[in-house]
Amino acid sequence: MSNAIIPLLLDSLASAALIFFAAVGLTLVFSVLRVLNVAHGSLYSIGGYVAASICLFIASRQLNPYLSFLALLFSAVGVAAIFGPLIERGLVRWTYGKSEAVQILITFGLFLILEDLQRVIFGVQSFYEDAPMRLLGTTSIGGVVYLNYQILLIAMALLVVVGLRLLINHTRLGRLITAVVADREMAQSIGIDTNRIFILAFSLGVFLAALGGALATPTSGIAPGLGADTMVLAFAVAAIGGLGRIEGAALASLIVGLARVLAIYLAPSLDAVAPYAAMLVVLLIRPYGLFGSVTARRI
Amino acid sequence: MTSRGMSIIVARCLSSFERLFRLDRGLPRSNVRLVVDGLAGALAIGIVAATPVAAQEKPSTLGLGIFTFTSGPAAAYGMPGKNAADLMIDEINAKGGIGGVPVSATYVDEAQGAQGVIAEYRRLAGDAKNQVMIAALSSANCLALAPLAEQLEVPTVGWNCDTHQLLMDGKSKYVFRPNGNTVPEFIAYAIYLLDRKPDVKTVAIINPDYAFGHDAAKIFTAALKALKPDVEIVAELYPKLGSPNYQTEISRLSTARPDVVFSNLWGADLENFVRQAAPRGIFTSSQVILALGETVLQRVPLPDGVIVGVLGDGWWMSPDAKAKPETVKFAEAYKARFGEYPVFPSIKMANALIYVKAAYDTAMQKNGGKWPTRAELADAMKGSKVETLTGTAQTRADNDGLVDQIVGVTIKTPAQQLPMIGDMVRYKGDSLMPQAGQDPLAWIATLKPEFAKSLPKPGSYK
Repeated sequence: MSNAIIPLLLDSLASAALIFFAAVGLTLVFSVLRVLNVAHGSLYSIGGYVAASICLFIASRQLNPYLSFLALLFSAVGVAAIFGPLIERGLVRWTYGKSEAVQILITFGLFLILEDLQRVIFGVQSFYEDAPMRLLGTTSIGGVVYLNYQILLIAMALLVVVGLRLLINHTRLGRLITAVVADREMAQSIGIDTNRIFILAFSLGVFLAALGGALATPTSGIAPGLGADTMVLAFAVAAIGGLGRIEGAALASLIVGLARVLAIYLAPSLDAVAPYAAMLVVLLIRPYGLFGSVTARRI
Repeated sequence: MTSRGMSIIVARCLSSFERLFRLDRGLPRSNVRLVVDGLAGALAIGIVAATPVAAQEKPSTLGLGIFTFTSGPAAAYGMPGKNAADLMIDEINAKGGIGGVPVSATYVDEAQGAQGVIAEYRRLAGDAKNQVMIAALSSANCLALAPLAEQLEVPTVGWNCDTHQLLMDGKSKYVFRPNGNTVPEFIAYAIYLLDRKPDVKTVAIINPDYAFGHDAAKIFTAALKALKPDVEIVAELYPKLGSPNYQTEISRLSTARPDVVFSNLWGADLENFVRQAAPRGIFTSSQVILALGETVLQRVPLPDGVIVGVLGDGWWMSPDAKAKPETVKFAEAYKARFGEYPVFPSIKMANALIYVKAAYDTAMQKNGGKWPTRAELADAMKGSKVETLTGTAQTRADNDGLVDQIVGVTIKTPAQQLPMIGDMVRYKGDSLMPQAGQDPLAWIATLKPEFAKSLPKPGSYK
């Protein structure tokens, strides 16, 4: 078992990186808009589909394969630019101030529509495009061959955590978001355009979801049903970390990643339940999650 | 329409009541399901008994209920089956149909889950024009539909039901499987492996987390242990069906450093696993067995030397298949229409339709050319021996099928752009099957190394 420790840690980090991308957008949107977006998983899979489609187009036209890295990023930007304002203005804004049940029902309806939309546009077959993964090659660590792309994903996740923290603490937009999160009415009363903040924050959440899907594409298949699986896992991570807390989502992703990897290494039959068992344990000890609290609202 | 149509609607509604109106409140769930299923079943039996089929008049069309996955990750396996059915039905109709009656299919997507599949089966069975069901792909759905087929007395042909549990009681009258099952399918891999790599010491298994994956692991392990008791299973992984990411499982397989990695992943799961495992060296560090590997030969670049098979004899490029003009014609027509050559699920579906057509021919021959009843059709299937596109499907007394098993390794040949299967062996269908009624695992435990020595060797099938 000792020779498995380095692979175990690396796998946990790689797994956590993918889980973090799925969850961080959900938690960001909740912290700002106080809306639990059930359609978040669909936006993740749409990001994956769009990225895979563009990468396949690049491959079919025999363009420079390194363009596929740009495709991963810009597909997420495109999805966020289209779906972010559209969903926030067209649907989500009508749920502000409504009960959680209404919000969940409305975003669940959106989830169903988006899932069917994907079937109509992309079909039911699995999508796969691994050019970015192949371009980066492999590295042997602890006797196990890893994809350099997996290591890039870990670095990207760290970059997103740091980038979001910098955005919130050291930019004007971040301070405006913090003000809206702390007290929406007070922010409005001092002249902050909360509608604009909501659109930007929601679109940023959509971008993070789509980026997660796009970055997962080179090492995972994209198929109908991915959105639902992603959503459930993202909820578990958000619950463990404390809804609305970015660092909480990062730490929760690590816990879930480690739980899942430990299960695969030591008790494979518990693989599917490990993330939820971890959630259960955390919520029993801290009912509002690791970083959550009853009253204080922070991001 | 009138009373029969009303009955169909009522039967269908009843089967949905449980969810719609929470009939289970205050009662054990299984009891309620029994009551609801029983009521719906009773109605459907009434409908079936009242149909004009009993009058043996030729219908204007012969309806087939065909169950397969047309959406979700399993569609990668299910759609080739549907494609083959479309093609075969067109060919049958171009030749005048079955007994002069044109064939039309109603497809049911198994991705909707067992409850939906059962409701669809009842609905289709209630329509007199649907005399036969070709169901299903998923073993779980096959097991769910089998009692219903007996209850409604509808001949049901398991086109891809692999689980050995399906016909174990030997009492089935209406359920038929013109294929092999998990027992011969996975014993074949153990025997082939030991012939090709007799010094194997350690094996790791990665199979999907449901009955097919667990059954295959059990049978493959039991056969290996019986034929070479010192083999050790160093890892057993069962990722969720439809899992898109296998990176952690691949790391676990790498750390176990097994001589052999065995897998019966299938559909998009198999494609994902191969694409993720190949760059990480699994195919070079271990001898890999992909039990359903033939299905991805045209889609994923598999390296040479991977042990693959077709869970039966359904390879369109086998020597027997190439010798049959109708098989060559079918493969070329399939390629022209769908852009790929048929994979073994396509062949299984095509063979199932040939099996149904043969049963009609036999039944009509027996009753002087009259249109057969469902019971007469089932009777014609019993004990039948049918020439298929790739060999012979023989039906035993317990309605289970005897079909040869082809296993080989991936090779590249200058003549073909795609990887092919080489160093092949073709095991006779009956040689790897326990007797009807015999417990399969108990039978496997009795196998001795001498048994394997008596079978044909890799490379013998040319």
